Amino acid sequence: MTSHTTAPGVRIRDLTVVYKTPAGELPAVRGVDLTLAPGTITGVVGESGSGKSTLAFSLLNAVQPPGRIAAGSVEIDGLGDVLTLRGEDLRRTRGRQVGYVFQAAQNSLNPLKTIGKQLLDLGRSHDVEDLRGLVRDAKDLLARMGMDGARVLDSYQHELSGGMRQRVGIMLALVLNAKVVVLDEPTTALDMITQATILRIIREVHEERALTTLVITHDVGAVAEVADSLAVMYGGRVVEHGPVAEVLGDARHPYTQGLIRAIPRLSGDLSLARALPGRPPTLGTLPKQGCVFRERCERRMEVCETDEPMSVNRDGRTVACHATDRHLTLVKRKEFV
Amino acid sequence: MTHAVPGRPRLGAIARKIGGHLVRGLAMIWVVATISFVIIREIPGNPVLGQYESLIQKGMSPEQAERATAVLYGFLPTGNLWQQYVGYMGSLLHLDLGRSLSTPGVEVTTLIGHAARWTVLPVLAGTLLSFLLGVTMGVYAAIKRSGKLGDALALSGSLLHGVPVYVIGLLLTAIFATLWPIMPSGGPVDVEFVPGFNAGYIGSLVHHAVLPVVTYTLASYGGWILAMKSNVVAVLGDDFILAAELRGLRRGFVFRYLARNAILPLFTILALSIGMLFGGSIFIEQIFNYPGLGLLLVNSISSRDYALMGGTFLVITVGIVVANIVADLLYTVIDPRVRSGGAA
Repeated sequence: MTSHTTAPGVRIRDLTVVYKTPAGELPAVRGVDLTLAPGTITGVVGESGSGKSTLAFSLLNAVQPPGRIAAGSVEIDGLGDVLTLRGEDLRRTRGRQVGYVFQAAQNSLNPLKTIGKQLLDLGRSHDVEDLRGLVRDAKDLLARMGMDGARVLDSYQHELSGGMRQRVGIMLALVLNAKVVVLDEPTTALDMITQATILRIIREVHEERALTTLVITHDVGAVAEVADSLAVMYGGRVVEHGPVAEVLGDARHPYTQGLIRAIPRLSGDLSLARALPGRPPTLGTLPKQGCVFRERCERRMEVCETDEPMSVNRDGRTVACHATDRHLTLVKRKEFV
Repeated sequence: MTHAVPGRPRLGAIARKIGGHLVRGLAMIWVVATISFVIIREIPGNPVLGQYESLIQKGMSPEQAERATAVLYGFLPTGNLWQQYVGYMGSLLHLDLGRSLSTPGVEVTTLIGHAARWTVLPVLAGTLLSFLLGVTMGVYAAIKRSGKLGDALALSGSLLHGVPVYVIGLLLTAIFATLWPIMPSGGPVDVEFVPGFNAGYIGSLVHHAVLPVVTYTLASYGGWILAMKSNVVAVLGDDFILAAELRGLRRGFVFRYLARNAILPLFTILALSIGMLFGGSIFIEQIFNYPGLGLLLVNSISSRDYALMGGTFLVITVGIVVANIVADLLYTVIDPRVRSGGAA
């Protein structure tokens, strides 16, 4: 079996995804570079419309029309560039190599078939010869997540709770031994206790199976609990990326700083949480040039109006901001004086 | 393990459900029978009493006339309403619907039985054909909804759906029976063949059924296309279809997930329209001179054959009530969500 080899790395390079609109093709994701280190959990946070779900779909080359991947590559170790896969090759990659877990509140299961029958459909689609073994693996996974496997496989979707469905979704993404797993909003619309359980399961299964995992969420708290590294998206760009503790503890991009300030604490004064002023951009309101965040930024400078900030990598952290860049350069210079 | 999964029906629950349906269905039929009894009895001019009196005028003795009328309607023409009602219900229980006036002496059940043969097969064939055609084209129109052919299919559906069935029927007769006479213009079968299981008779049956069935199909497939198209488009937008694709399911599986979910609501309508076919298709049977239930009903009305009218109404009612029950039970079988619903 090759399933116990090391986790694959994923390299997203210069990814641009455009959506066809009446105003022409507008970019939802633009020039994104992101590396998922083998065996790590990468969290992607951002507001609605920041392009994070589009980024997730790109990992399976599954951007839905009217969207289109305009440029870039998604290299997965052992698979090559996913964006060049077509037809049957692409279909076999999905599910078998890259697992995808849908948002909990949405129904990712066929309401008319039992979970077990859908599992068999999945196995047959991927030419699994030992279907009994597949069912056994599924039961083990479900038991691993604290459920009665036999009973769940014999159930219809409507007989399961939201948290159970989400665990079934995770099982279906893992049962074929996919090594790269993408979770899109895995805890949205679940209650707090279930959220915590799902996050713990993600963490545990990730470590046990040596996966490379991408978690998309708008919940900074969830990411802090589960991820190793954190990418912050805004207006279709990754504005900051680094180890999760450092990004949350010492945010460098003004948007990340604003996001963290906006989190209400369980204890302490609620008024300390401050909402970020302004609205997130939509496809149509994205500025054509300069920094995408400048309209809402308290540290904007003249150069932000005209030049798009480049992603600059310093000590393992990437930030795309003119102000941060200048500040850090000054600090560094002083240190050497 | 033998533990019952909660919400899964057991045999007892299913039997209770069917029993409940039967009781409600019988109650419904009883109500309709009562109403048609009262109407026939109380209609202006009181046809029952009129019949009785006209028989006396023809020279019958009152006793004879009373017996003759009782045979016709199933209850005594004289006596109070309650006695008549009990008599009528009693003969109904023996499936005795009385005798026809316009075809003297023949039992209403016999007439209905004959007419039903001519209605059920063509209308059933038309219904099923238009369902299959409409559903297939609806799926295609939904999947290719941005293409020209998909648009054309959907458009043809809405246009034909708006054309009255008698216009289509008359057009088809004009073209295929008059201008270019390759089809018989009416009647259910050519008289020269001996009824039975022989090639000539069956061929003639089919030949005569073509135009009515085609008319029915053309008039009703449009509704199926439109319904199926919108269902498929709705299901296509459901997350489980995208999820199935992202799990790498084969196209065949994804298509089956899509089709089964989309077709589900249509089965109810199909079951109901099969129930409606006992009413016959009045226009089509009239145009093609097809001796089905629709024509029987029209003729019974125009000849004031009240016993026949009441009997036909009753058969139509039973058809619809049964179809409703079947539709409901069918849904229980094909939709697991309904199965575990409140009924158990």
